[in-house]
Amino acid sequence: MAINLRTPQAETRDQRLGTITQWEGSAEELARDSAFTYGCGRDCGPGGRRLCELSSPYSQASMCAEQIAVTNATIIKDTVVIQHAPIGCASSQSFTSRYSRDLAARRGWKPEDPKTICTNLSERDMVFGGVDRLADAIREAFERHNPRVIFVATSCATGVIGDDVDGTARQLEEEIGIPVVPLHCEGFKSRHWSSGWDVIEHGILRRLVPNRLNEKRDDLLNVIHLGGPDVFSPLVNPLGLKVNLVMGGSSLERLADLSTAAATVTMCFVLSYLANGLEQEYGVPEIRAPLPYGLDATDNWLRDIARVTKREDRVEAVIASERVRIEPELERLRKALKGRRGFVAAGAAFAHGLIADLRELGVTVDDAFSFHHDPSTDSRDPQQDSLGHLVQETGDIAHFTVSPDQHFQAHAALKRANPNFVLCRHSGSMAILAGRMGIPVLPIFYSNDGLGYEGLLTIGRAILRVLPRRRFYQDVAAHSRFPYQQWWLDETNPYALAADDAA
Amino acid sequence: MTVQSRFDDSSSGGFSALTGSIEQVRHACALGALASVIAIEGAIPITHCGPGCASKQFQALSSISGYQGGEFHVPSTNIGNKEVIFGGADRLDELIASTLKVMEAELYVVQSGCVPGLVGDDVANVVQAYQRRGVPIVFAETLGYRGTNFTGHETVVRAILDQYVAKLPGPPPETRKGLVNVWSLLPYQNPFWRGDLAEIRRILEGVGLEVNILFGPASEGLSEWRAIPSAELNIVLSPWLGLSIARRLEAAYGQRVLHEPAIPIGARATGAFLKRVGEAVGADLGRVESFIRQEERTYYHYLRDFAQFYAGCTSQYRLPSEVNIVGESAYVLAIAKFFVGDLGVNPGAFVLTENPPESERAAITDAFRDLAPGVDGEPVFEPDGHRARKLIAGRPRIGEYPIVFGSTWEGAVAGEIGAPLVEISYPATDEVVLARSYVGYRGALQLLERTYTTVVRQSTEENPEAALS
Repeated sequence: MAINLRTPQAETRDQRLGTITQWEGSAEELARDSAFTYGCGRDCGPGGRRLCELSSPYSQASMCAEQIAVTNATIIKDTVVIQHAPIGCASSQSFTSRYSRDLAARRGWKPEDPKTICTNLSERDMVFGGVDRLADAIREAFERHNPRVIFVATSCATGVIGDDVDGTARQLEEEIGIPVVPLHCEGFKSRHWSSGWDVIEHGILRRLVPNRLNEKRDDLLNVIHLGGPDVFSPLVNPLGLKVNLVMGGSSLERLADLSTAAATVTMCFVLSYLANGLEQEYGVPEIRAPLPYGLDATDNWLRDIARVTKREDRVEAVIASERVRIEPELERLRKALKGRRGFVAAGAAFAHGLIADLRELGVTVDDAFSFHHDPSTDSRDPQQDSLGHLVQETGDIAHFTVSPDQHFQAHAALKRANPNFVLCRHSGSMAILAGRMGIPVLPIFYSNDGLGYEGLLTIGRAILRVLPRRRFYQDVAAHSRFPYQQWWLDETNPYALAADDAA
Repeated sequence: MTVQSRFDDSSSGGFSALTGSIEQVRHACALGALASVIAIEGAIPITHCGPGCASKQFQALSSISGYQGGEFHVPSTNIGNKEVIFGGADRLDELIASTLKVMEAELYVVQSGCVPGLVGDDVANVVQAYQRRGVPIVFAETLGYRGTNFTGHETVVRAILDQYVAKLPGPPPETRKGLVNVWSLLPYQNPFWRGDLAEIRRILEGVGLEVNILFGPASEGLSEWRAIPSAELNIVLSPWLGLSIARRLEAAYGQRVLHEPAIPIGARATGAFLKRVGEAVGADLGRVESFIRQEERTYYHYLRDFAQFYAGCTSQYRLPSEVNIVGESAYVLAIAKFFVGDLGVNPGAFVLTENPPESERAAITDAFRDLAPGVDGEPVFEPDGHRARKLIAGRPRIGEYPIVFGSTWEGAVAGEIGAPLVEISYPATDEVVLARSYVGYRGALQLLERTYTTVVRQSTEENPEAALS
């Protein structure tokens, strides 16, 4: 199904992909039912059922699409982001102030403060509308920073009062002569914050990727990632490919190169809106092979890149040499991690990848926690069924919980799993929850850490570094408690409350 | 358009004045006052707002700034399309009911954000139904577009006082001699609030008082809140925050108010403060003086030793001669008084970022008079980081060695004017803060340590050869 780039607003992933945020069961079951709902891609036999989302009466604060869209717009260089919102939406600037500098250090850029301006809407603006303030803020941003692009992010408040952000953006664009790109990211519009990725990628696709098909380069590979150091060049440079690393902090030049590349890979299919759009609009093929987590998957991923970019002659040598290179250290890690039980908590395809990594390292994973689930991808290509692939290649995960980072549900899931350690995405409540339950935790800040051959070593070594911290966490756990009722503290079914409610 | 709380007569400092766009944001919205609820042991906020609102406010205030941590498992309706279109009161009702089933608290504080205000949810009505059933629950309307986490804090506190403390069963409270309520730093917004409130409690107890410090690890939690009506004095230890609360308590319980705009830092200010408090409650002045004597003995012992460093006997570091401060008015004032009044540093730019109510601004400006005898500070109300930077960088300086106290955002201007930066305000992302305090007797010494360690390190980094030789 084509993505619609004609409107300034990206269709949410709830609508496009049937994304759900609440589910409980085995991974095998979830993979099977997902295929049923959105057209059978792989070996789903008959008997699947429609993917039914659970509904919990109790819920806790999580995250919204605005934060994802704004953070990832903010780290595009030479731009200013206007948060057209009351002041609270801009609280996340404290995070981006740190993130921008940290990212700059890892990528070798000059550290700079993020340039984000909040229109600071008041009650009066709620009554009379805030477009004049928006226009002033855009002018101010232009005068202060002389940016090459200005993004305008909407908020729940401007969505409800119906400010004409698109009209104002168009008008100011004519006035100041640079692109003013609206990002429609009202938090209430999507059930899951990952829609924020689609929003920023939609804005990029519509406005920042010029058609440069006559400048095609057969050695350029677009890599769409979540942020962090470039772990991709060492993987694909030996194939004679150069990496065009975008999202997770990029320059406008890199975005402008997107249409000239030979192919696009995504380090997480949650981000594949942009890859899909590039294929649709500019014929840049998206590599859809399962993501490079684990040895075999990495081999096949490289082979697929080689196939699409016509470098098959070189790929086997690269694979062989990489495997030989990491073998001794991989063996050491497997020995050290043998018999350990890990628990993974992250978002959809990213979680599936981390589970594959752990299993490759010899860790037992019977429990996982995914912040959302996409029953399909924009390409509808069954190759991108990362959960189905995981189950098929490495086996089922008995307890697979889908939950939008709900602390109370994570508590039950961790109590049921009682793992030796937790591997999770850095943000949200999981890392501190695990620690407070006495479980060593490895939060992944830069999500490229687990990728490819080297990623196995990176993750394995990092787990070994955190395991001894059990001493600290258990001490804290023994001296603090959570404000849940005793029955919930004892509960091991994350959706006990939903079942209760239905009964 | 918006639903006024039925409990709320809004007699507070009121709605903060608006200033247009803000770059480099230095406070949260009114909903961010959920941090104040989290700071009360035994209380839990229940938030009725969009899916990212509550966590964004708290993570910004607590996780990044000072890496303060703090428990976050806050119930939220996570408003979606359905609630925007059909209203969210039923969903809130469902959330409250399930919260009572799952969570355990002595007090629940329902806070509403932007969307319920805009779509007109009757939150008060939902909450009142639980109150009638005897559930310890209150409602604070903290619409994000209506104020900051400072004004939201006052809204939350008023809600707890009116709907919980005032409604407690039992005989009317009797005044307890020597019991005081303290209204001071905004929890989590100020990265050092925990240590500071502990030090304030310590010095007040030192002169023989009983203290309701109300927030943080130094507080006993809700039992202190229940004892608020029994206090004989409300000490407002801040330029304006908490004043409206104290005035309200004065009207409700006849309690007196002692307003001390400057949180005392150092022996000079702390001793004077304790004497004024002692007078206000008719304390045993002998005990007050003996405590001060004992504290000063230790304090000045350290200060005497520090004087060797400050005299420059050991080094040729460029000791700062001009102090520039950016942050919330409470800390800017307190630090300005200490460095100008006690250390003999000249006043520089003082930028107050929290957008205080118009009605309080003249008094805040007045508080910067006579930082030292005859030396006035000239504070500027400016929440925008871009303009704050210009105020500091554009200040004419001849022969001065400036130092900057501020947030992480001040890194750029500190670099621009070659000044060391000590992070004292939100967001402080280069400081890991646990129990450190910068106020009172002990805090002053830690502030000196941090300040001059920063000065030494900066000199060393700038002159690596000198450091090696």
